[in-house]
Amino acid sequence: MINFIDFLNWVLPVFYIVTFAIYSYDFMTGKKELANSKRLFLFITLLFHAVYLIVRTIYFGHPPITNVFEIFTVLAFAVSFSYFILELVTDIRGTGPFIIIISILFQIISSIEIEHIVAVKQVLKSNLLGVHVFSALVGYSGITISAVYGFLYLMLYKEIKLNQFGLIFDRLPNLEILERLSFSSAVIGFVLLTCAIVIGLIWLPRAFPNFSYADPKLIGTSIVWILYGIGITSKLLGKWRGKKVVIFSIIGFVIAILSTMLSNFLSLSFHSFY
Amino acid sequence: MNLLAVSINHRTAPVELREALYLGNEDIKNLIGSAKEKLLSEGFVLCTCNRTEVYGFPIDKNTSYFDMQNFVIDKKSSFNINPEHFQSFLSREAVKHLFSVITGIDSLLVGDNQIFKQVKDSFLLSDEMSFAGFLMKRIFDFALIAGKRALTETEISEGAVTVSYSAVQLIEKIFSSLNKKSALVIGAGESGELAAKHLQDRGIGALAITNRTIEKAEKLAQSLNSKIIPFTNFKEHLHEFDIVISATSSHDLILTKADIKSAMKKRSNASLVLMDIAVPRDIDPDSKNLDYVFYHDIDSLNIIVEQNLAKRKAEIPKVEKIIEEEVDNLFNWYNSLQAAPTIKNLRDHFENIRLEEVEKNKNKFSTDDQEKLEIVTKRIINKILHQPTIELRKSAESGENTTESAVRIGILRDLFGIDNHGKNEEKK
Repeated sequence: MINFIDFLNWVLPVFYIVTFAIYSYDFMTGKKELANSKRLFLFITLLFHAVYLIVRTIYFGHPPITNVFEIFTVLAFAVSFSYFILELVTDIRGTGPFIIIISILFQIISSIEIEHIVAVKQVLKSNLLGVHVFSALVGYSGITISAVYGFLYLMLYKEIKLNQFGLIFDRLPNLEILERLSFSSAVIGFVLLTCAIVIGLIWLPRAFPNFSYADPKLIGTSIVWILYGIGITSKLLGKWRGKKVVIFSIIGFVIAILSTMLSNFLSLSFHSFY
Repeated sequence: MNLLAVSINHRTAPVELREALYLGNEDIKNLIGSAKEKLLSEGFVLCTCNRTEVYGFPIDKNTSYFDMQNFVIDKKSSFNINPEHFQSFLSREAVKHLFSVITGIDSLLVGDNQIFKQVKDSFLLSDEMSFAGFLMKRIFDFALIAGKRALTETEISEGAVTVSYSAVQLIEKIFSSLNKKSALVIGAGESGELAAKHLQDRGIGALAITNRTIEKAEKLAQSLNSKIIPFTNFKEHLHEFDIVISATSSHDLILTKADIKSAMKKRSNASLVLMDIAVPRDIDPDSKNLDYVFYHDIDSLNIIVEQNLAKRKAEIPKVEKIIEEEVDNLFNWYNSLQAAPTIKNLRDHFENIRLEEVEKNKNKFSTDDQEKLEIVTKRIINKILHQPTIELRKSAESGENTTESAVRIGILRDLFGIDNHGKNEEKK
């Protein structure tokens, strides 16, 4: 079984790259004949990825959330899976390459660095940890997708303002839809991040004797949470709109990534498991 | 196929001449009446603002497209029309021309969305007048297939190619559903009217018109069932609109940056689209520097038009391929139609020879043998004709090679003098 896990580990980046290539080709050429096949290919990639995650969980006896590189592969899956659902629900098919590339990055890093860890700390086998990490990951996927749509919004906004009617103008959905997609993803991300924080605050002090509110990941996540909270509230109250909201979303995403990287690679707090 | 076609269009004649040749439904009916009487056994007449065309199968085999040109010239003799103003086509080329017209690649505005319906309507008129016969109807069936395929399989009609429509296309890149938006059209001239109609066609939620001359605004508002805002105080209502299209003939700016800024403040910076399709411009171009204000003038809209036209032109080879395929399909069908009478003619020809020879020589046989002579000669003829009959049917039914099939039938007819035989029989 370990060989099969290794095989999938190396094959997954290839699958994501091929899916990305098909989506990109479709985006560049605007040919409609790939509209269904590219979705099918994404589905197959996600299926293989799901099998990989399940097999890994069974073989190693714990879900792949015990270190940052395991989390990266789950994040790669969560981002593309969220996009897949979004594409099915909205039938907006032109934005795939911009999302799938995020999964490629996460999966490549994971595939290179991931190790076979059978024995993990007892504390990491808690069910509450599962819920905490799951909601945090889907929350991060939400804000990642929100940032990507925010970025696309800014690109299209700029093209229209500057009379540059190129590929972006031709292929992307309109500004209102991009803003809505970015905002909805941010709301989903925010809600799940809230769940992750609440569970974390209940469970972490009990699970870790060296728990500290000064933990960098906790501070980073709290800043991200506050930023999104301000952005979402202002948007809902009608004070902010369009460009301002999406810029906020992008800033939130950048801080979230920086916070994760810093807390995992630089600091040695109770929140770092690698 | 002895199909003839003559066309006066934007490539061959100036606009004055095309206007002079424009035929209304009654004119077309009269033209069809005369054509049926002395020139064409069946056909159809097409007339749009950019072309007048007559297609048909001549009553007399010796009729050429020069006769058709003269027929049209005679009908409009008061105008200075001469043969140089015509494009003329015969057989396959005539069919190809019709298919090029219906797919929009022959239009002045490549991929014109209107032409398909115009050709269809013209054909229905010819059909109504019993001018479109069996062959013409079948040709038209294939023309419809070619037209539909061009629309669905290529992007020949994609994108806006007029300024007013490109304004709407641009608006749709900013707002998701126009039925929740409101628009103000400043100016009730031709451009303003066209833009207002496009917005209404796309389902704009609320439409208002303002114009210096209130009567003109009222007239347009009535035809579009929209609101009127007095020109004197329309700026006070500016913030109520998501889209403003300005198309007046004013020499001065109608809306300054300060007007727009004030409206944006009242709108809490909700996106505002300003389409200035007037020359000289009506809205201060500096307004584009305001956040959430999407200002576009005729130059920026022309960029979209030029890009879309270039994209449509790039689709022409794909449409030409479809046309070739459908012309081949039509001629395959036509040749299969030719094969059946050829087989019959061939059999009749041999049967006549057999009968002649049997008649001449039957006295040399006894009464009993005469019956055997009948049977044996029939059997010989059947055996001789068996293989050619099979081959003719096969090539006609497979439809693999139109030209080869046509050549085979032609050679066979020439070799056995089937067509001449018919004529000789008539002479006798």
